[in-house]
Amino acid sequence: MTEEFDDKLDSAARQLATEISPERDLWPGIAEAITTPQRSRWTPMLAQAAAIVMLVGASSAVTYIATKNDGGPIVSVAPELVFEQAAFGSNYHLGPGFQDARNSLRAELDVELSRLSLEAREDIRANLNLIHQAIVDINTALEQEPDNVLLQQKLLRAYREELTLLRRVGGLTRNVMRRNDI
Amino acid sequence: MMKKLIAIVLGILLAAPATAEEVNRTLDAASNGRVHISNIAGEVTVNGWSRDQVEVTGELGRNVEELIFERDGNKVIIKVKVPKNGGRGIDSDLHIQVPQGSSLDVSTVSADIDVKKVRGEQMLETVSGDVDTEGGESDVSAEAVSGDVTVNGQNKEANTRANTVSGDVILVRVAGTADAQSVSGDVTVTEGSFDRVDMNTVNGDILFRAGLRDGGKLVTETVNGSVDIEFDGAVSGRFDIDTFNGDIDNCFGPKPERTSKYTPGLELSFQEGDGDARVKVSTLNGDVSICR
Repeated sequence: MTEEFDDKLDSAARQLATEISPERDLWPGIAEAITTPQRSRWTPMLAQAAAIVMLVGASSAVTYIATKNDGGPIVSVAPELVFEQAAFGSNYHLGPGFQDARNSLRAELDVELSRLSLEAREDIRANLNLIHQAIVDINTALEQEPDNVLLQQKLLRAYREELTLLRRVGGLTRNVMRRNDI
Repeated sequence: MMKKLIAIVLGILLAAPATAEEVNRTLDAASNGRVHISNIAGEVTVNGWSRDQVEVTGELGRNVEELIFERDGNKVIIKVKVPKNGGRGIDSDLHIQVPQGSSLDVSTVSADIDVKKVRGEQMLETVSGDVDTEGGESDVSAEAVSGDVTVNGQNKEANTRANTVSGDVILVRVAGTADAQSVSGDVTVTEGSFDRVDMNTVNGDILFRAGLRDGGKLVTETVNGSVDIEFDGAVSGRFDIDTFNGDIDNCFGPKPERTSKYTPGLELSFQEGDGDARVKVSTLNGDVSICR
């Protein structure tokens, strides 16, 4: 892909004119400007101060734009949507949206687990660990074959399994509790 | 001495918790209405019968506040009400008879669910317990977190969805479409005939011994487990099989190929006949066997 792009660029460059003639003769004006230079309306110090002010202003604006969303409300992202965007493999990684959704579900799970028996809690945690181990195993295999489509699909599926489990446990418990809380 | 003994016996009797309460109640119901059942702990068994009545028998835990049993139009509600903080003594065993054409909506936390002879749609959920149902002529959705899920169908067209986290999923004589999933358990489908089947587990084996119809689709996925497929009847269509670390045993003819010279992965893709069925099998660590 890079070579193809370079070839196109070279071809386009070769088609450019090697000399460009101005529409009118500018040299008399240039010569006059050299011999009698006009004074700038701004002194050099004033110009430098203005540049510094502009730089600081621009920097502050960029910083504000970059950080203004950090303090805002966290937008919850539906796991299905996250996964549609979460393509990964050798050139991709899971985005912050996925992590936000996962962290949110994890926090919810901890609350819901407290309503279950010790046995059920341990069972669910063991299964979450199992999924995590599967993710580790798949990632280990991906290190050997980063572009293996099967492994990428498996990894995607494993992440989806985890989110599904997190959602299901919370949902099931809440449903039954609500129905009895009358 | 005698007085002391009497006092001790009386003390024990007074300190003893209230005993469990027997229940035996009946309500008239629609022949094809919906029955909602909710019981946090214990057991729920549901049987379809020929009467247009719902009957509840069984035993309520000693700390249960009350059994709510009421009819609202075509809907019958059965709820075991327990103290908000739960606690001990709330285990209740409910044995419920419903009209055969009823639909069911059963929710429990720590209780087994057992359903027989009910023909309507079923939605069964438990957290910790087994779900065992005779699928009828309608859709079934059966879910557990820590427990096995078993659906015994009658080869009638339906959408069947069965999943658990820690346990096995078994579908027998189910037809139409099925979605069977587990995390740490085996997933088994036998004796059915399908347009679409999805079978998935993380740590478990997958067994499919059923028919795939013309244009049908079978998708099986596991991470650590084997896949064993034996079609009941001919299958004509496209096959795609992948394993990262395992063998592929195929009765259809073509031999699998290595996916890489550095890893033991194998893949096998071929067209059998000129049909448009689709079979997709993948596992990370496990063998695949596919025959007819």
